[in-house]
Order: sequence, then C-alpha cells, then structure tokens
Amino acid sequence: MTLSILSTASTFAQARAAEISAMLKAVTQKSSNSLVFQTLPRHMRRRAMSHNVKRLPRRLQEIAQKEAEKAVHQKKEHSKNKCHKARRCHVNRTLEFNRRQKKNIWLETHIWHAKRFHMVRKWGYCLGERPTVKSHRACYRAMTNQCLLQDLSYYCCLELKGKEEEILKALSGMCSIDTGLTFAAVHCLSGKRQGSLVLYRVNKYPREMLGPVTFIWKSQRTPGDTSESRQLWIWLHPTLKQDILEEIKAACQCVEPVKSTVCIADPLLTQSQEKSQTELPDEKIGKKRKRKDDGENAKPIKKIIGDGTRDPCLPYAWISPTTGIVISDLTMEMNRFRLIGPLSHSILTEAIKAASVHTVGEDTEETPHRWWIETCKNPDSVSLHCRQEAIFELLGGITSPAEIPAGTILGLTVGDPRINLPQKKSKALPNPEKCQDNEKVRQLLLEGVPVECTHSFIWNQDICKSVTENKISDQDLNRMRSELLVPGSQLILGPHESKIPILLIQQPGKVTGEDRLGWGSGWDVLLPKGWGMAFWIPFIYRGARVGGLKESAVHSQYKRSPNVPGDFPDCPAGMLFAEEQAKNLLEKYKRRPPAKRPNYVKLGTLAPFCCPWEQLTQDWESRAQAHEEPSVASSPDGKESELRRSEAPCAPMPKKPHQSSDEVGTAIEHPREAEEVMDAGCQESPGPESITDQEARENHVAATGSQLCVLRSRKLLKQLSAWCGPSSEDTRRARRAPGRGQQGLTREACLSILGHFPRALVWVSLSLLSKGSPEPHTMICVPAKEDFLQLHEDWHYCGPQESKHSDPFRSKILEQKEKKKREKRQKAGPASSDGPVWEEPVAGQEALTLGLWSGPLPRVTMHCSRTLLGFVTQGDFSMAVGCGEALGFVSLTGLLDMLSSQPAAQRGLVLLRPPASLQYGFARIAIEV
Amino acid sequence: MVRFKHRYLLCELVSDDPRCRLSLDDRVLSSLVRDTIARVHGTFGAAACSIGFAVRYLNAYTGIVLLRCRKEFYQLVWSALPFITYLENKGHRYPCFFNTLHVGGTIRTCQKFLIQYNRRQLLILLQNCTDEGEREAIQKSVTRSCLLEEEEESGEEAAEAIE
Repeated sequence: MTLSILSTASTFAQARAAEISAMLKAVTQKSSNSLVFQTLPRHMRRRAMSHNVKRLPRRLQEIAQKEAEKAVHQKKEHSKNKCHKARRCHVNRTLEFNRRQKKNIWLETHIWHAKRFHMVRKWGYCLGERPTVKSHRACYRAMTNQCLLQDLSYYCCLELKGKEEEILKALSGMCSIDTGLTFAAVHCLSGKRQGSLVLYRVNKYPREMLGPVTFIWKSQRTPGDTSESRQLWIWLHPTLKQDILEEIKAACQCVEPVKSTVCIADPLLTQSQEKSQTELPDEKIGKKRKRKDDGENAKPIKKIIGDGTRDPCLPYAWISPTTGIVISDLTMEMNRFRLIGPLSHSILTEAIKAASVHTVGEDTEETPHRWWIETCKNPDSVSLHCRQEAIFELLGGITSPAEIPAGTILGLTVGDPRINLPQKKSKALPNPEKCQDNEKVRQLLLEGVPVECTHSFIWNQDICKSVTENKISDQDLNRMRSELLVPGSQLILGPHESKIPILLIQQPGKVTGEDRLGWGSGWDVLLPKGWGMAFWIPFIYRGARVGGLKESAVHSQYKRSPNVPGDFPDCPAGMLFAEEQAKNLLEKYKRRPPAKRPNYVKLGTLAPFCCPWEQLTQDWESRAQAHEEPSVASSPDGKESELRRSEAPCAPMPKKPHQSSDEVGTAIEHPREAEEVMDAGCQESPGPESITDQEARENHVAATGSQLCVLRSRKLLKQLSAWCGPSSEDTRRARRAPGRGQQGLTREACLSILGHFPRALVWVSLSLLSKGSPEPHTMICVPAKEDFLQLHEDWHYCGPQESKHSDPFRSKILEQKEKKKREKRQKAGPASSDGPVWEEPVAGQEALTLGLWSGPLPRVTMHCSRTLLGFVTQGDFSMAVGCGEALGFVSLTGLLDMLSSQPAAQRGLVLLRPPASLQYGFARIAIEV
Repeated sequence: MVRFKHRYLLCELVSDDPRCRLSLDDRVLSSLVRDTIARVHGTFGAAACSIGFAVRYLNAYTGIVLLRCRKEFYQLVWSALPFITYLENKGHRYPCFFNTLHVGGTIRTCQKFLIQYNRRQLLILLQNCTDEGEREAIQKSVTRSCLLEEEEESGEEAAEAIE
C-alpha cells in the first residue's frame, strides 16, 4: 500500500461520512405539505389524530406538536374563561354585544339583520347590505305591489330649537328659492308637511353644496303666535352630517356646548357596564360556574340602546348666546322605519293600534306611564287623540300612499304592538269594508291631515325617555302571556300597557317626470329609541319584506332620483364616495390576471373607475369659448348667426345687487310671497329671471375659481327638460309649451344660461332605445351626423362602433418588466447592493398598470370618435320600465351645444358606451323636474 | 395519485484515476449516457429514454450518481450503462465504468439505500485497514456518521413509517 492510497482512503471515508449525513438530513425532512398524520398508512390512522397529538405513534408526536403550534392550524381563540354555555348566557351575551357595539353603531334591528343579511360596515354603522336570499325581483315586487320595509334608523337627526324668525333667518343663507321650497314654505312651517331641500354653504349657492335633507317643523299649539319656541328636525344621511352640522352651527352662531339630558344619561350607563365588566371575570376565576344570585349582583347589565360609540364627554347640543337657538344632535335617539308600497297602509293599520284612553274610573295606582294619565285628564288632548285615531283608521281604506298629499305628517300615540302579534306570519290585505266612508276619505285625500293632528309626544324628549325606560321586556311579556288562564287569548295589561308616541310621515315616491308618478311612495315611522324590535317584528308578521342598502339604491334608481351620497358629485361626501369607489374598483381590477381584464386604454376609456367631472366641464367650457369666435363668421345658418351677433350687446347686464338682496329678504319673511314669486317664475320669465340671473352672475364673479356645480335651479331645469324632447312630434308638450311661456331653444337663451353656469352638470335620465343595460361609469356621448342618417334608414340600427385605440403604455410596461428582471438577475448574482435595487421596482410598479391610462388624462371630451358629454352614475335594467335605464350627469355646456345642433325631430338622442365595450348604443335623454 | 412514474438508478462511478471523479459534471454525464443509449439502442431507444431523463444527484467526491428516467424504459438505460467505458471531459479521457447499486421508485428509497451502503463501505474499510493513523481517521468518520444517526434516529424511523 502506498502513501497516496492511504491518503485517498481517509478522504474516501470522510466523503462517505459527509454523504451519509446529507442523505440523512434529506430523508428526515418532510417534503410534502401534508400533515404528519396524513402520511401514515391508512390502517394506522385514528379519528382523533387531527386534534389530539397523543393519538399518533410516539415517534411522530414531536413533529405533530410542532405542526399544531403553527398559526394556520390554530383554532379561533374564544374567551378562555368561558365555556360555550356561559358565553350563550344572557348576561354575558349582552356584555359581548355591548363590547362589539363600541366601534360601529348597531341599529336596534342589528341582530335580526345579521342573521339574514350581508352586513357591511359603512359610515360608522353596521348595516344590512342585501338579503342573503335571492330576492332582487321579489323586493321590486314588494315595492310596487306589496310592501318593502327598511330600517333607516341610521339617518341622522339634527334638532333646532328656538324662535321661528331666528331659525329662519339663520338658515335662509343655506338654501335657495331657486332649487325649490325652503325652510319657510307655508305647509312645512305649519308642521303639516315634510319638506325636502338641498343645503349649501351660507351664501354660496349654487356652489359648495352640502347635501340633500328633509325637515319637519313641530306644529304650533297656537297658530299665529310667533314668539313661541319652535322645534325643527332636519333629517340627513350620516355621510353629510359632519359638514352640515358644522355649517348650521356656524350659521346659527351656536358655539357653547350644552350638557343635555342625553349626555348625562350615557356616562351612567357606561359606568355601570364597566363596573360589571370588571367584576364578572373575578367572580368566574377558580370557582364553579354557578352564578351568584342576581340580588347580590348590584345591577343587571343594560343593553346599549341608541348610539354605543358616543363619547360621553363630547357635547351633543350647542346653544347660541345671541339668538338662543339650541342645536342638538339626535342621532340614534329615534328609530326610523320606512314602508314602501301600496300595502303599507294595511300593514300599518293592522300592526299598530292607537292607545286606549285612560279613563278616570280605572284604578290609578302607580303605573310608569304617568304622562299618558296626565294627558288623558285633559279633554282637549283626548279629543285630539280620537281625531288622530280616526284619521289613522281611514288610512286603511286608501289603496296607495301616493294618493295622500306628499309629505303628510300624522302624529299618533299607540299601544304596545307586541300584544296583538298574530300567531303566524300572515299577509295584511286591504280591507274593502273600510273604504265605505267615502266622504271622509275624500276629504282626507284633498286636504291632507289637519295641522292639529300632526302633534305627537315624540317631540318631547322627557316623554320619549320615560317611554324607552318603561318598556316591558320581551321576557316579562312572554311570561305574562304564558300565565294567561286561557292559552293564546288576548293579553290585557290595562293601564300597565306602554303607550308609545310615534310620528308617521308620508314619503312621496316618484315626483318627477311623467310616467309612474307616485311609484315607490310609502310611510316613514318614527319611534322613540328602544322600541325598534317591538315594531319591527309586527310589521314583518303582517307581510312586509325587508330590504337593505341595495334595495334602497334600487328604489332611488327606479324613482330616478339621485342616490345619497353617490349622486352628489359636488358635495364633499359625494367626492369621498367617488374616491373610495374608484379605489375599490381599481383593487378589484388589479386582482384579475392582465390577460383576463379589459384593456381600457385600447378601448378608449380614460377613466373607467371614476368620473372626471372637473375635467369634463373644463373641457367643455374651453371648447365653447374656442367655438364661439370662428363659428360666428362661418355659420351655415343665417338666422343663427344673426342671433349670435345680437347676443353680444345683450351679455353685460346691468347689475342691481341692492334690489336682489331685498327680494330675498322679503321672500323668506313671508313664505306665502316666496311661493308666489316662485310660481311667477314658472309662468312668466322676464321679471324674476333677471333677479336670479343677477344673483348667479354675482356668485360666479365672487367665486373666481369657478368650481364644479350641479344645476338645481328648477326654472332652468324645466326649460332644459322642455328642450330635450323631440319638440315637433310630442303634441302634448308642444301645446303646453307656448302656454307656459317657454323660451325657444335659441342661441341667446343658451348663452345666457351658460354665462351663469359655465361649469355645471345636469342630472339626466336615459332610457335605451335598443337592448342592453348600461352600467355605472358608462360614457354618454354626442352622436355624429352619420349616426342619425343610419338610424333614420334603419330603425333597428344599434349604433356605431368605436375603433380600437393603440396602447402606448404597453411597451413601457414591458420595458419596465425587462428591466426588473435584469435587476433581479443581477441581484441574484452579487448580493451586494440591496437597498437601492429593492426600492426601485416598487416605485415603478405603482406608476403603470396594464390596461389603465396612467399620468394626467388628455382632453377627455375629444379622446374618442364621439364627443363625450357625461357619465352614468347608476344604471341597470329597469324592471319598472322594462328596458335598460341609466341615470347620470352631463355637462350643461355640452348638452346645450348638442341640443342646438341637433335637428328637432331627433333632439335628445345620445350614445351610450360602457367602459369595457366598443359598441355605442342609442338612448333618449330626459330631464325630469 | 396521478403522476408520471419514474425509476431512479443509483450508480457508482468506478475509476482508477481520482481526477476522473472530480471532473464529473451533470451535463457531461447526461450527454454521455444519452450518447451511449443512442449507440446501443439506436434512435428509438434514445428518443424513448430522453423523455424525463435527468441527473438528479451527483457527488464528485464519492462518485455517486442518481439518474432518473421513465418507468417504461428504464431497462434501456440500465442496459446501456455497462457500455460506458470512458469519460471525456475537457479533452481528457478517463477510463471508467458505472456500477449500478440500486434501482428505486423514489428518490427517498435511493437515499435510504445509499445510507446503508455507505455505512457498509465504511465498516469494510475499517476492517481492512492496517495502518494506525489511517484507522483512527476512519474510526472518527464512522463514529460521526453513527452519532448523526443516533440523533436522527427518531426522525429516520418516522421517515420510514412515512414510506
């Protein structure tokens, strides 16, 4: 043996040893991603292996233990010191519910909804979005033929208390007569009707919109007495609340916070909760699960009623030292249920029974309902109650809520609706016998509910509070029911029965347009807090179907009314909504693989996820300006050019600011006059028009950075809607037009409107001529001449097609990808420069997404072959009409430009193109007032 | 499970020249095997074996090689291996031959076999060794591998159970 061989022998041995260790390592490693017990042969598996390590062979237990500790296999952590039974026990459940309500406000019907609806967290609330059952069409049927119930308790209520004049003066700057009736409208001011209007920042009309609200005044006890303190409730959507509250506070100069009763009640509640929360765990630890007697436990835990997220330290009421107006935030202090549909009358009259009058003969022992006994001692209020009851009974004989004057208010005091709950769920049907009383019904339909009958005790905070506190719990009620001598017979509580003050408000359905008037009308029921479920279940037991947020969107779409807050692009909440929606849609878009998603650049869609209103209106403004100069000279139509020339001296109008401000002042002080002015505006244009024109012009001058605004002036909208239709064919409209003194669609008129609203949007509804259903963000475009020609030749012509665009970003993206790859390869080689290489691709990734336009948008109107006019915000197949319908905004400048250039017979036709399609489709545009 | 079934040939490169082992390289090896198959079994054999053929493991120090091929044609590869008589790399020609140690259905069984085989080899080496220093070195590596085995015993048994 030589030395070389010896040396090889030792290295040989070392190499073998190294290989053995490497092989051992490889063999022991688990290669598959299955669990340990899954690798055992079948005959060695045991049922409990998945959760009990000791069931495995001992040699595998260690690995299994490691595996079980991984986060993926961990079971959801339950509260450790409570078993399932303890968790289900009532006290603990209430505690848990209270804890979960801290972040998002729960409505009183939350648990009911959570079992049946897809819940979403929105606007600080937990709301039911849509039912889990398939019910799109069923809900539509309920709206049209039966009854749809919605819990709108999330709507916010602001209360203004103070002298009528002061409130009106403070709020007058926030609304305009242009947009319709104001707070001072006669019917609303008396408390007879509910009013609705659009609020603006003080004296900023028509810009800086804040949002749409509805309001009700508390009726006066003694009409005509102006010195009396009045109450005004403003109901609004929670997204708008912050802005409007701040603005109203500023307008009323309410700065000093008031410690109201509402605020004091809350801390007590929370304190007791916290105490009991801290106590309970101590009790549990180490002892048997037997609970101590409730007598020892100081207080039973209270369910949170109302707003659980409220900070007791923050003020919820503010007073103005100068005017004495008190603003309080009554959010979640009341429940608001909405019943939509013709059967809502019968459901209401069956579910709710007016409270029995307390007679003197009955035993007057201590009952919690002192306020009702006091009321019953006064013969006037008893007779009022009887009248209210009679009117309420009459409602049962009316076939549809649409027959009643819009916004009618009816106050009522009712008994506990749980007492006459039917055994089984049934369907309330209109009772034909009740229709007998024709004379009274006719009177009710004509005159509405008399002013006195709108009185309700719900306006009184103290009574509401006592009603909430003295509610008999469901448990007690059921116990009493079980103790009845004859099972199933009517429970009679006598004076112990709760009396609940409620307020019924008629909601007008579709008020705009010409077809389906009154569709979707119904009643809103206002209840004191705590009574939500007590009324909710009886309504459902009478056959009401419940809808969520999606159903309310459908409702507003079929009503062709803008949906809050998505369809208010000029208010802060609307902008926020649009941003959020764009973000969500973009995320959803990016989740798909690039090959499976539409390339919006190639489709010529610049903004598929949001509507660039600002740019659209700016583009149209600059287009109009550029258009004016050359067109005067080279106009084919002699008449038009004449008109255009004539408007030039007409444009600078004489300004009379003094007179206009005077007008506004008087109008608000004397609401009757204001209405007359309004009416006059509709009938004869010259007088008031000049005033509003001036105002608008002044505003325009004042707001130098003229922002986006939505046209809401009723007069202008009426004019536009008359222009939109094909004038020569529609004889009815043609007949009516001269009678109303409508202006013709002339160049002059257009320019005068445009002078005041250079960057305005108009709310329009569109109905498709052919098949198809539009989707949100669909583009509304101006048809070209050849489209009309083809449509004229072939009535079934479905529309032109957009040619494919090129994608200049594709090559850039590919380049970037290559670069990234190269960098990666470099990085893999020498792992030296980690920092800068890591950051670069992240920045690059954000900039470009395949299929989306990146960077600033080019001129949006001219990007495609047809000029862009606006965007659709809501669109779907409308079951109410039977064709695709869309709602959206178009640029006012663009609309007027299009209307004036189109022939009269085909006026109002536009093209719609969905963001993911090249096909245009014809639609008819309509503006409904 | 639905999968392509393979056969793994665990082979040992035997050569007098230690440089031959060190010059071993998976590309060289696969081309060498392919060429030999083509020479022995013709175009059909080459095509049949080229599907799924791969060198899965290669140890230049011990000369252990793991070849993969489809189960259907592994005999063609197997029968071709004895015809390899030399290894050509970078202009050098090293006479050598392949000794097939094991044919397995999974890499894991081959690994297990290799452990056993190496252990046996070490023991034989220990028995035949006469030199003291040499003996000590071998003893060391044997105990190392055994210690490792002790440590991993439970794990290995688990792995066996897994199979």
